Amino acid sequence: MFNRRNFLKLGAGAAVGSAAAIMPGTVLASECGKISWDESADVIVLGSGFAGLSAALHAKRQGLGSVVVLEKMQVIGGNSAINGGWLAVPRNPIQLSQGVTDDSPAELVNDQVVAGRGMANKAILEKIADRAMDVYDLCISSGVVFRKDFNIQVGGQNKPRAIRVKHGTGGDITSKLYEAGVAEGIDYRLQHYIEDFIMDNGEIIGLKVRQNYRFPDITTGKTIFIKANKAVIIATGGFARNMELRNAVDPSLDPTLDCTNALGATGEVTLTAMAHGALPVHMNMIQTGHWGSPDEGGFGWSVALLSISWHEGIAVSVLNGKRFMDERADRKTCSDAIMKNRYKDNSPAYPIVFFNHDDHISDDRVVRSLRDKMAWKVDSLEQMAEQFNVPLADLKKTVAEHNKNVITRTDPDFNRKMDTAVELKAPFVVSRVWPKVHYCMGGLKTDVGCRVVDGRSMKPIKKMYAVGEVTGGIHGVTRLSSTSCLECIASGMIVAETIKSEVKG
Amino acid sequence: MKKYLLTLLLSLTVAGSAFAGELESVKGSTQGRTNHQFLYEDGCKSCHQGSGKATANDAACVECHGDINSIEIDENNLTYSEANPHKSFHYNQGASCLACHGEHEKKAPVCAECHRTWFEEM
Repeated sequence: MFNRRNFLKLGAGAAVGSAAAIMPGTVLASECGKISWDESADVIVLGSGFAGLSAALHAKRQGLGSVVVLEKMQVIGGNSAINGGWLAVPRNPIQLSQGVTDDSPAELVNDQVVAGRGMANKAILEKIADRAMDVYDLCISSGVVFRKDFNIQVGGQNKPRAIRVKHGTGGDITSKLYEAGVAEGIDYRLQHYIEDFIMDNGEIIGLKVRQNYRFPDITTGKTIFIKANKAVIIATGGFARNMELRNAVDPSLDPTLDCTNALGATGEVTLTAMAHGALPVHMNMIQTGHWGSPDEGGFGWSVALLSISWHEGIAVSVLNGKRFMDERADRKTCSDAIMKNRYKDNSPAYPIVFFNHDDHISDDRVVRSLRDKMAWKVDSLEQMAEQFNVPLADLKKTVAEHNKNVITRTDPDFNRKMDTAVELKAPFVVSRVWPKVHYCMGGLKTDVGCRVVDGRSMKPIKKMYAVGEVTGGIHGVTRLSSTSCLECIASGMIVAETIKSEVKG
Repeated sequence: MKKYLLTLLLSLTVAGSAFAGELESVKGSTQGRTNHQFLYEDGCKSCHQGSGKATANDAACVECHGDINSIEIDENNLTYSEANPHKSFHYNQGASCLACHGEHEKKAPVCAECHRTWFEEM
């Protein structure tokens, strides 16, 4: 007898047998002969962020034949198009011109292995880091412009090796890789949602796709079947926007936490791959930043604004007007302290962070934040107390105490390093903080050639590849800033080479 | 006279909205943009190729309006000149018209997901 549990087990397993045959939305291996394909392509890429765009471009350049990119949203670029545009490149020309000559791909990998806390995949990280200059060259040849003379040291890295695109957003790269691909004959499709994989005897042979889909309504559009002659490359990104999945794998991530990601980062293709045997790893390793603002979407201006606030200002609880943390502590310490600020009904009491307006009148970090109303200029502590509903007497006391601590360069309450602290004087720039979920270290297990590993055999699934944030186990516990862009674009190169070698063989 | 009326209509439409035609009832409960009235006279298929129920794509928009980069926007209406959605740093040519424009209903543009104060529903 098929109860619901047995039914699902069979359906999600090998996809054979009569029980699975009637599972809605699942296309059967044994039925593959009957599928009437609406179209076919040699290589099908799922997703159009850094990883998907790079994989498509390199598949084309490796001469693998026709390449189709399927993107479910109404824009090309996925989350990459709204990322910060940072790229780690050991031995990049700007770094060398700064006199930093002792960096190398191995140095980058060492930093990543430390941050991964024993959970990173060193072999894959090495393969990616070795391609860093190829990634840089690809960007330059595609017309990407990097900030002149800008190469800095970012969190957790022992050398300044992070460069940044001109406009400070990954869109500078995704738009150029897309336009290069269009010119080279790649077929990009928006609003194509992956309903299922079509498997035949452990091999992916095509896709069930909803064409003209409108996110997030899965009843929109119509179903078509696309045959994949040589490869399916999964580049669908993370799942930080999928609240149920997020909660299932890491219940400690509070539902009040917003997310820096594009809305499409919902991870359903990860789940589809899992249902066909792909091994998920490190799914609970989800990176959170304490630098979010509830008053803007995405990554926003908050991080840059807070780079002033944490040093020259203070963070204050709106509940009692008091400081509650060492503003310069690490992400995790600050996130935990910030999230303790709750009203009685457990809703967030967003703490305020402020510093002296007149010390930064024309600073772009301040100007744009005020303009876009994710920060506010207030002329007095009275006005601040009124606007953010903070007890005024306590707020005044907190500021007076802090100003005394600035003179003595000590912080008896939280032991903050006070070397950059500044005496607080109105007018102030005030913003609100609440952590945001940022990146999924976990996802589909891949080998060094970007082949997706089947958890049952621990062998690659034929013709199924994955690149970028959709993969898991590469970075381990923490992914370092500026390394995702590198990973995605380099993996796009590597996966095309793998497919080329297999098609030949 | 007819020519005069047409000119008047066009100028009203442009002055009425910085972005697109206003919504009005076109058929039953279906709403459409005032500047697309002539399309509704030909039925749904001018935009919904194949069948009326199939979702439209950019082709119908581009046929009259041109592609995204060629459609000029009055920069005086922008938060700042570089915040031009038709020459977006994030997407440039890689954005569907439908990411920001709805024919039958008001829609918040994709940019507003993050830049909450830059654009209104249109």
